[in-house]
Amino acid sequence: MIDVKNLHKTFEDNHVLRGVNYHVNPGEKIVVIGPSGSGKSTFLRCLNLLETPTSGEIYLEGELITGPNVNLNKVRQKMGMVFQHFNLFNNLTILDNITLAPTKLKLMTKDEAAQRAFSLLDRVGLRDKADAYPSSLSGGQKQRIAIVRALAMNPKVMLFDEPTSALDPEMVGEVLEVMKELAEAGMTMVVVTHEMGFAREVGTKVLFMDEGNIVEENTPDEFFGNPRSPRLQDFLSKVL
Amino acid sequence: MQSWFIHVGEMFQRAFLKEDRWKLYLGGLGVTLKVAFFAAILGVILGTVAALMKLSVKKNGKPSVRSIIATIYIDIIRGTPSVVQLLIMWFIIMKNCRNGVLVAVLSFGINSGAYVAEIIRAGILAVDQGQTEAGRSLGLSQAQTMMYIVIPQAIKNVLPPIGNEFIVLLKETAIVGYVSLSDLTRVANQVSSRTYEAFMPLIGAAVIYFVIIKILSILLSKLERRLRKSDRR
Repeated sequence: MIDVKNLHKTFEDNHVLRGVNYHVNPGEKIVVIGPSGSGKSTFLRCLNLLETPTSGEIYLEGELITGPNVNLNKVRQKMGMVFQHFNLFNNLTILDNITLAPTKLKLMTKDEAAQRAFSLLDRVGLRDKADAYPSSLSGGQKQRIAIVRALAMNPKVMLFDEPTSALDPEMVGEVLEVMKELAEAGMTMVVVTHEMGFAREVGTKVLFMDEGNIVEENTPDEFFGNPRSPRLQDFLSKVL
Repeated sequence: MQSWFIHVGEMFQRAFLKEDRWKLYLGGLGVTLKVAFFAAILGVILGTVAALMKLSVKKNGKPSVRSIIATIYIDIIRGTPSVVQLLIMWFIIMKNCRNGVLVAVLSFGINSGAYVAEIIRAGILAVDQGQTEAGRSLGLSQAQTMMYIVIPQAIKNVLPPIGNEFIVLLKETAIVGYVSLSDLTRVANQVSSRTYEAFMPLIGAAVIYFVIIKILSILLSKLERRLRKSDRR
């Protein structure tokens, strides 16, 4: 579904990604972990081209999306993204946050979008917040809405960039719960996170990134039970 | 004491009532408001365009031609006195047009646009980058993200400084006498040279300016409060 070939990203003198290769199959839940500065967020942000890769190729469903003359906006409609800091639109109500993109991009009528929004809001238990503004919500509620907003576009893949890192501890559970349900429903997911429990429970593959490269990749059981590279052993000994 | 009151009353009578002079002030105020109002509209339009131009960057991160043009415009306008700009407009650029109001509106509008551009640019930059990223990640274009997400939030940021700019603009129009427009200031000056008394006409003009600006700032703070509604918890 997503094919990454020899991906490099440089910020001025900082070589953040150093030739990443990876392939994501439909339905997989890829969990990316690694120390800060390892390039995992940049890797994720390159997938939907919020960062422009310095070199390398990314294919989405066989289509080269890093080439010239690619309609970026069309590509991004297929990839939902959830951010660490939620990034709900502060000037819009929750309902408008969810329906803005589908209606402005003429994918749905206003009524269809609202209907879809309400059924998604039901799924995360926040229907009563439809007319509220983001500033009146808790962090956990904001992140659940952010997930709903991305889902309203019916994406093929969902990208999560440390979705629970900015939350108070007691709100992490409610967000992970929504992500688990989403995984069970068969969504293809790429998740950058520090939640090792989630990686173990939900991931079909876990990646360890360090210094701009994927150092180790394995099933959760093998990854946590039998880490091979010394760097991963060292990392796990510090976080577990 | 009584004679003092009579004296002040006579001064007032000469400055405002004799020969229906209050009508002159009213006419002058009309000119002031007309110039300020249309110049403010022109300034906001020019300022928005210039701000968006100045913010545009090429793909490689270097400033675009549009942004260089906007920067030059802002630099020139901010680097020269508005009286000089007005005189250049009147005697050089539009020397064949003797419609003083039109010349003043253009001159002040272009002047105000440069300041408004910097205000709007700062307002847009103050909106969290994450808002843009969220919009783009949903597949909205740069223009759609600007229009529906960034600019509505930027307007809230810029309202206080824009209000300030409107107030400055309104007062700055007091120099249109240079291009022989009879605005409030010039009328007051003319009356005082007729009556040989400066006190009443000038204090009167000052009071009128003050009241108008007070009303304007009350309206602006009302608008600001309404726009802040989405921030309330």
